[in-house]
Amino acid sequence: MATGVDQAVGMSLVVFSLLLFTYYSVWVIILPFVDSDHVLHKYFLPREYSVILPGIAAVILLLCIGAFTAVIMWKNRKPKKVD
Amino acid sequence: MNRRAPAHLKTLRRDGYVITLRRAEVAFERRLFPSSSPEILAAVLIMTKLVEWLFGVSVVGAAWALVSFDLLDLSLPQTYREVAWPMPLYLLVSFGCYSLATVGYRVATFNDCDEAAKELQGQIKEAKEDLRKKGLKM
Repeated sequence: MATGVDQAVGMSLVVFSLLLFTYYSVWVIILPFVDSDHVLHKYFLPREYSVILPGIAAVILLLCIGAFTAVIMWKNRKPKKVD
Repeated sequence: MNRRAPAHLKTLRRDGYVITLRRAEVAFERRLFPSSSPEILAAVLIMTKLVEWLFGVSVVGAAWALVSFDLLDLSLPQTYREVAWPMPLYLLVSFGCYSLATVGYRVATFNDCDEAAKELQGQIKEAKEDLRKKGLKM
């Protein structure tokens, strides 16, 4: 089995993704069928955010990937040789 | 075989062979691309997996658009439309969660190989000594 830190990181990733999946599923699929005066609605943001927040996350992810690529390519540039 | 078939039924395959299309294939391609060149014909014939996937995606996309934008005026209940509308985004998010969970699980259950690691370290030391003796500066 993998050692301490690896196991902790892996298990935390699994738990985080399970929580995210459950929360998002309830938000998108189950909440419209629940009466609007039920107490469950207190724990969820308005439904517009269920589209906006993943959009913002996707933009941030693309920004991070772009920044990482730019940094790597900047470090690897070679100065032009002068003949 | 090529002498019997007329020129407009022959097509150039990517591997360089000239083949003759069957009548049904010609009719299908003519309907889609009335003035196609042989290369386009050949390309669409070869990439049938892509065409298959595009067809599947467009069918699912059409079904989603029908339900969420009420294009056929079926007057479904408002809750069903509200659930169907964010479906593409929901599938993307659930795919992301599945990927994250798989990566996390594989990281947690990856096996360490202690003897192999020690052996590798020993071999690295050996190689360094050998190269140093032969004059390579480390």
